[in-house]
Amino acid sequence: MSDARLRRVQKEIRDCAKDKTSNISIDMIDESPFHLIGAFPGPPDTPYEGGYYEVDIVIPDAYPFQPVKMKFITKVYHPNVSSASGAICLDILKDAWSPVLTLKSTLISLQSLLCDPVPNDPQDAEVAKHYLADRNSFNATAKHWAQAYAQAPAHKKQSEPGKVATDAEMAGLTEENVSGFTDMGFSREQVISILKKLNYRGNNVNPQSYNSVLEELLK
Amino acid sequence: MSSDGENDEFLYEDAYDDAFDQDDEVDDLDSMSEPDVYDALSPAIEEAPQRKPYDVSWKVKTLQEIIDMQTKEISKIQSVLEVPPSSAAILLRHYVWNSEKLQEQFWNDPASALEEAGLSPPSSPTTRTSTLPPSPTRRTTRSLKAGPSTSLPKRARSINTGSFECPICCMEFDELSVPSQTYSMGCEHRFCKDCWKEYLVVKIKGEGESAKIQCMESGCGRVVREEVIDDLVEKDVSRRYHNLLNAAFVADSSTLRWCPHPNCEYIIQCTQAPPRMLNQLVPTVECKCGHDLCFGCGYAASHRPVLCKIVRLWEKKCADDSETANWLQANTKECTKCQSTIEKNGGCNHMTCKKCKWEFCWVCMGPWSEHGTAWYQCNRFDEKSGIDARDTQAKSRASLERYLHYFSRWANHEHSAKLDGELYQKTEKKMEQMQNSGNLSWIEVQFAKQAVDVAIKARVTLKWSYCMAFYLKRNNMTELFEDNQRDLERAVETLGYSLEQSISDTESIAKLRQDITNQAAYVQKRHDILMDDTLKGYLERRWEFSVDI
Repeated sequence: MSDARLRRVQKEIRDCAKDKTSNISIDMIDESPFHLIGAFPGPPDTPYEGGYYEVDIVIPDAYPFQPVKMKFITKVYHPNVSSASGAICLDILKDAWSPVLTLKSTLISLQSLLCDPVPNDPQDAEVAKHYLADRNSFNATAKHWAQAYAQAPAHKKQSEPGKVATDAEMAGLTEENVSGFTDMGFSREQVISILKKLNYRGNNVNPQSYNSVLEELLK
Repeated sequence: MSSDGENDEFLYEDAYDDAFDQDDEVDDLDSMSEPDVYDALSPAIEEAPQRKPYDVSWKVKTLQEIIDMQTKEISKIQSVLEVPPSSAAILLRHYVWNSEKLQEQFWNDPASALEEAGLSPPSSPTTRTSTLPPSPTRRTTRSLKAGPSTSLPKRARSINTGSFECPICCMEFDELSVPSQTYSMGCEHRFCKDCWKEYLVVKIKGEGESAKIQCMESGCGRVVREEVIDDLVEKDVSRRYHNLLNAAFVADSSTLRWCPHPNCEYIIQCTQAPPRMLNQLVPTVECKCGHDLCFGCGYAASHRPVLCKIVRLWEKKCADDSETANWLQANTKECTKCQSTIEKNGGCNHMTCKKCKWEFCWVCMGPWSEHGTAWYQCNRFDEKSGIDARDTQAKSRASLERYLHYFSRWANHEHSAKLDGELYQKTEKKMEQMQNSGNLSWIEVQFAKQAVDVAIKARVTLKWSYCMAFYLKRNNMTELFEDNQRDLERAVETLGYSLEQSISDTESIAKLRQDITNQAAYVQKRHDILMDDTLKGYLERRWEFSVDI
């Protein structure tokens, strides 16, 4: 059946190259047609707009009867994508896979996943908490990530041109909250990682969580 | 109160001794009047009369009988609903073999019932029926004779346009080869047969799916029929598929259970132990392979007289706690305020609980505030607060000790049961010896084997009785239970001792034989009393547990 697998993958790559309207590309990394890189633009009207997202694609032996393995190469700030590894939580990549789905249709599904996050079934719990706690701050962070990692152009409305997002902004935190703790003498790196973990944002900024942050820092 | 209790115990002791004496007398009488003691006692040793109120009846089924059961159900539904047999099978599986519910739903709205189960609605009956083989017994015979080329629907739209390209492997098929090389379930999704085959193999062998293999099209819920699968895949895959179907049938049924013993292929059927009855029944059954199992939870041995739920709790507790508990016992103390377990790994005796910040003295367990500046001068033994603190400490320790008490006895009997194999061998050797030196016939030395059987059975029951006692609340009923338990344990130990005795001359053999026979009968009796009383106690709701059942 490996003939059929090769034929199918080659055709999929060919078809995708022919199709100019979807803006989705699938390219080979080396000689093997079973390890590919897919790419698509961030969907419009989302924080990912203007970014360009690359996805690592591995075709399993039993393809298309087993789902393809996909993960983001480009770092994405999204509840269903691991911010560390790029692993994706999407049903069609697991039990809802059907052999009629293609690499292209799967990449389109990823694109629409960027439009509609499912924070209740998260891959990255910290990001999902951020998403649920403070949507505006989440959007801003996702945008910073898109600019920093996915070559999205910086918008004048969001930040001044040429200004690079700070490490606090990249973590979805306000400079005010971070410096509040660094002024006490804690290292900036430690403060950011703990504030991220405890989701110290929006309504979560209160005396009680302030104390738990201090407790964590003092551990 | 305490004197009363003692009196009770004495009374009970007396009653117990009386009972014991009487037993002895009866046995002695028996042995005197009847020359062959073994025969006279064998019914008592062998098996207590069946059908106690807490017993369940059961049947042991073969795989073929399970298949026949399904066929029967299917043909019933087939004739009632007037659908083809494979549709009836799919419907039944969808409704988890609940034919009442299926009929209700079906007569309510046939189209949606079919649709939900993954069948085409009756509006296109031609495609549905045309694909079916004529014989209704097909699912059990699994013949492959009906060629799919003649029975496949030829309706996919793409066929009309001439050639067809399989959307999965991208192979082209010309108009002539479409009917023989491709297949569609009548849901307008056509694929080539090689792809179907590959897909089914991955589903059946890779994912172990059986009853709910759906159309390859994304989002199409049409279920692939048995005969289609049988036609498309190789024999070994088809065999695996039918095994999975049977396994699912047994798993879905609350009245069936596979025998859990290795290499045993029997299935137990029992209708008297539904899950809701398991808080008052311990449905121990015996498979034809000779092993006991619990029908309620699938435990691969008898766990009588303990309820399934308690067994589960106990096993979990043992797995989690036993080692840890021993270590905790030896190395830690609890914070006197929040009861967190603390290991002291250095430093002074002025302890500050990391969790609740309570400051106390590690030596006397009293609050540190009372120590003032008297560093390391722990002379506060009679201080009230120190006593209180030690009290709570002691309570927490006591619960640990209590667990270890029951666990060690449980484990002890478990260990003894494991050594039973050896005891069997030893006893067999002894039996040979007796035949040689004591001039006894083969049948006359069987008493030893019988006695070992009784002892083993009693040990298993004793083992579980400790699990039971751990979860019982302390009350009079529990005391009665523990009295019964003690009597059985004592009887088993006596029997065990006798079984280990070495034999020398003919005279001692005769005496030993009599002793062992009597003791075994007594063990059996005590065993039956404990079992009877405990299991009846569930029905009478006499037992109160410290956990929720």
